[in-house]
Amino acid sequence: MELNEVSLILGGAQGSGLEASMLILSRALAYGGYGVIADREYYSNITGRHSYIHMNVSATNIPRSLRYPVNLLAAMDSESIFTHFNDVANGGVIIYDRGVDGKRISDVPSMEDALKLRVLKHLQDLNIESDVASILTYLEKERRITRVGVDFTRWLRMLASKFELQPRVLSRYVSGIIVVTTALILGLDLEYVKYGFEAQFGNRKEIVKENLYLMDLIKEDLNQYGGLLQIKKPTINSDKVMLATGNDFVAIGKIVAGVRYQSYYPITPAADESFLLEKFEVIEYDGDVIGPIIVMQTEDEIAAITSAMGASLTGSRSSTATSGPGFDLMVEGLSWAGMNEVPIVITYYQRGGPSTGQPTRGSQSDLFNAAFSAHGEFARVVLSSGDHLEAFYDTVNAFNIAERYQVPVIHLLDKFLANSLATVPVPDLSKVTIDRGFTSNGGKDYKRFDLNHKISPRAFLGTLNTVMWYSGDEHDEYGHIVEDPENRISMYSKRIEKLQIIESEVPEEIKLRLYGEGSPDYLIVGWGSVKGVALDALDELRKAGYRGMYLDMKMLYPFPKKEFLKVISGVDPSRVIAVEHSYNVSISDLISMSTNVKIVKKVAKFTGRPMVLNEFVEAIIKLLTSKEEYKVLRYGA
Amino acid sequence: MVPEVNSYKTDLWVDWCPGCGNFGILTAVTKALEELKLEPSRTVIVSGIGCSGKIAHFVNVNGVHTLHGRAIPFAMGIKLANPDLTVIVHGGDGDLLSIGGAHFVALGRRNLDVVVVMHDNGVYGLTKGQASPTLQLGVKTKSLAKTNIQQPVNPILLALASGYTFVARGYALDVNHLKEIFKKAITHRGAAFVDVLQPCVTFNDVLTADYYRKRIHKLEDEGGWDPLVKDIDDRRSKLFKAIEKGLEWDSKIYTGIFYLDNSVMAFEERLSERLSRYPLRNPSNSKIVADNSRPIIGSDNFEKIFKDFVVYVRKGG
Repeated sequence: MELNEVSLILGGAQGSGLEASMLILSRALAYGGYGVIADREYYSNITGRHSYIHMNVSATNIPRSLRYPVNLLAAMDSESIFTHFNDVANGGVIIYDRGVDGKRISDVPSMEDALKLRVLKHLQDLNIESDVASILTYLEKERRITRVGVDFTRWLRMLASKFELQPRVLSRYVSGIIVVTTALILGLDLEYVKYGFEAQFGNRKEIVKENLYLMDLIKEDLNQYGGLLQIKKPTINSDKVMLATGNDFVAIGKIVAGVRYQSYYPITPAADESFLLEKFEVIEYDGDVIGPIIVMQTEDEIAAITSAMGASLTGSRSSTATSGPGFDLMVEGLSWAGMNEVPIVITYYQRGGPSTGQPTRGSQSDLFNAAFSAHGEFARVVLSSGDHLEAFYDTVNAFNIAERYQVPVIHLLDKFLANSLATVPVPDLSKVTIDRGFTSNGGKDYKRFDLNHKISPRAFLGTLNTVMWYSGDEHDEYGHIVEDPENRISMYSKRIEKLQIIESEVPEEIKLRLYGEGSPDYLIVGWGSVKGVALDALDELRKAGYRGMYLDMKMLYPFPKKEFLKVISGVDPSRVIAVEHSYNVSISDLISMSTNVKIVKKVAKFTGRPMVLNEFVEAIIKLLTSKEEYKVLRYGA
Repeated sequence: MVPEVNSYKTDLWVDWCPGCGNFGILTAVTKALEELKLEPSRTVIVSGIGCSGKIAHFVNVNGVHTLHGRAIPFAMGIKLANPDLTVIVHGGDGDLLSIGGAHFVALGRRNLDVVVVMHDNGVYGLTKGQASPTLQLGVKTKSLAKTNIQQPVNPILLALASGYTFVARGYALDVNHLKEIFKKAITHRGAAFVDVLQPCVTFNDVLTADYYRKRIHKLEDEGGWDPLVKDIDDRRSKLFKAIEKGLEWDSKIYTGIFYLDNSVMAFEERLSERLSRYPLRNPSNSKIVADNSRPIIGSDNFEKIFKDFVVYVRKGG
C-alpha cells in the first residue's frame, strides 16, 4: 500500500550530522514535490547528547503538524532505539547500525536516568531484555516492525579506501547514509537525493561525489528494502517552494523590510537569525548594492537594544533578536523606547523558562513578559505568527507598525518555529509594502514631540539644520526635561493613547484569523505555533463528527477586543478551548482581562516538546465530552 | 548652519549646584564645538543618567539623554548607522564604570570613533552622595555614613587595557586646558576617553578643589612627554609610560594626554573592509523603499537573492 503521508524520526548524537541529514533529505523531498515539516529536538549540549529530527512528509499537501506514531525510525546509535522504539507504528521500519545489536541500555551513559528507568520498566513489563537485538526482535514479532540492519562501518571503510580518506573524517558521511537509506525505504527516486546532496554541498563537488558513491553502495546492498514504505507520487501542484526554518524566514523578512541595523547577543534559539542576516549584510545585485545591514554582536542584550534604538534615531530600520533571558535584560531599553517613541522591532523567540530553563526546547510561556514587562505605562505592540510564511509577512508588518506608530514592536515567536524546517510557498511580494510612517524634514523650530499631532512627525538625527533632543525623563515638545503636571498629562496621554489608534487602524488580518467552518460546535483559541496542529486537528475532528473553528490571535497587544468579541459572540462559552505551550495557558487570562470573556477549558503542554496531532485531538475530544477543564499534554521524548 | 558664538548653549536654566564642576565641563565642551565649528545638526551628545546626564539638554546640538550606564551603546548605534555624525558621550564615573562598565570596555575593544567624557567626582551626586567606583578605599566623604570599603578602579588604566586609542585626563576647573583636550579627542579617529576630575561641592568634601590644586600636574609640563605611538613597536613602551603616570594619585595627579595611538584601525574602517561602500553608503542613507511603497526587494529579484532557499520542483515525474 502506498502512503499519502509518512512520519519519521532521524535520531543520533548531537554533533553527528543530523541537521545535515534533515537538510539533505528535505531538499530531496522538496525537489521531488513533497511537502515537509521537520522539527529539530536537541539538548543544550555540543556533542554527545541525544537529538532527533521529527519529520512529517506528505504527497498531497504541505504538512502543518507532527504525528506520532512514526512510520520510520532511522537510528544512528543505540540510544535512538531505546528512546524511540515505542514511537514506531505497527508495520513500520527501523533502520539501524548492526554494530549496536548487543548494546544494552546500561551501556549508554548519555541517557538520562529518568528515561532509562522508564524504558527499563516498560521492557520489564513486556518481559524483554534491555539490549537492542531483543527489542528489535520483539518489535518484529509483536508489531510487524521491519528492522533494516545495516553495516555503517563496512560502507565507510569502502568509501575510505576508494577516496583515500582519513578515518577521522568518516563520521561526517553517516548523515548521508541515513538520508540514502531513508530515501530507499520510502521508494524515492534517487535523483532527488542526488539533488539534495548537490544543493547541500554546492561547490564542494568532491563531497557530492563521495556521497553518491555511498549511495550506489547502499542501493546495491539494500535493494530488497526499496519501497518498503512506499510514499505516493506527489500531487502538490507547485513548481517551486521555499525550504527554510523560522529563523531564516524572519531574517529574510527583515531584509525585505529594509532592516539596516541588527544587534544581538548570542542566545538559543535566536542567534541563527543574525547569522543569516550577516551573510546578507551586503547584497550585490544588478551592479548595485542593497544595504548595508550592520549586524552587531554586542556585549550584552542591554547594548543590543540600546544600540538598535540609537540606530533607529538616525532613521535606520533597526531590530534585535533574542530569547527570554535576553529579553529580560532588554526591558529597561523597552521602557526608554516607549518614553521616546522609538520604532524598534524585537524578535523574541520563546524557549523553556524560568531562568535558563530548557534552553533548546520550545515554549509559549512568555506572553505576559512580552505584553507587560517594563516599568511605567506606554504603548507597545506584540505580534505573533502561526507559521513560517506568516513569520515572513509579520516581520515586515512589525517594522511598518513600529514606524507608523513610533512604538516598540515585539514579534513573539518560539523555538518550535525558529528551528523547524518547512517547505513553504514562495512569499507573494506584491502583497508587501513599506510604511515609514509620519516623517519630517525638520527645520529650525523642529519639535520632536510636537503635541499638534497624535503621532509627532519624526525627523532623524543628522537632518540638515535640525537639532532635537530625546530624554528618558518626562519631556516637553522639544525633548527637554519638564516635570510640569499639565505637560505630563499631555505627553503621557499622547504616548498611551497611541494604543487606541493602533487598535482601530491595524487591519483585521494582522490582528486575528479564523479558520474552519461557520456556526461551529466548538472553538479553539490559540496563538503562534499551535496553529498547524490546531488546523490539522479541525480536520481530524471533522472526521469524528465535530464542526470546529480555530481562532488564531495574532496581535496579542493591544488586544483586539472588538474583533475577538465578534468571533466569540456566537459560540457557547463552554465549547471554547484555549491552547498554549505553557502551564497557565496565559492567552485565556489575557482574553479575560481584555474582554471579560472567561475561557475555562484549556490544553497545556510544557515539556518543551511541540504538541503533536494525536494527543491534541484526544485532549479536545476529552474536553468536549466530559466535565474536565484542563488537559496537560506530555507526548514526545 | 554653524551657530553664532555662544549659541552652542541652549537657553535652558542650568540646574546644577552653584560651584559644580559640571559648569567647567559644559563651558569647555561648548567652546570646543565652537572652535571646531561643528555643525549642531551633525553633532550628537549622548548622555547617561545623573547630574552629568543633563548636559545633553544644555548644549545646542542634538542631545540624546539615555539610560543609566547605557550612553555608550546608544552612541554606538547612532555612530554606526550614521558615521557622518560626531558623537560625544557624557557620563558620570558611576554611570560609565559601574553600571555601564561592560559597555565602557566594549567600546575600547571596538575603537569606534566616539568620544567618552567621564564626569569624575567620586560620588553619585543625584542620589545624594553614595561612593562611586572612583572613590578611594578608606575615604569617608561627608555624605557617607561609613568609610568606603570598596577599592577604586583606575579609569586611565581601564581605558588603556580596554583598547581606547586616545586616553586623557582633564580638570573641570581648568577650562582652557580641558577644551584643548576635548578638541583633540573629537578630532581623534577612534575611541577617545577623557577622564574629567570634578569636585562635587555638595557631597564630596574630600576630593575638593583644594585637594586637586595641590596635586594636579600637567603631563606636558614634564620634560619630553610624548604620548603618541609612533609605530607598532613603540606601542608597548608608550603604554607602559601611560600606565606609570596613570598610577600616580596620592601626591601627584596628572592631567593631559596619557596615550595616543593612531595606528589602530577604527571600527568604521574594519567595517568598511566587510561592507562595500560603507561608510559612504550606510544604514541611515541607504534606500529601503522603491516606488509605490514597495520594498526594493520585490517579485523580480526575491528568488534570485534568496536562491539558496528556493527549490524548483523537478519537472514531470
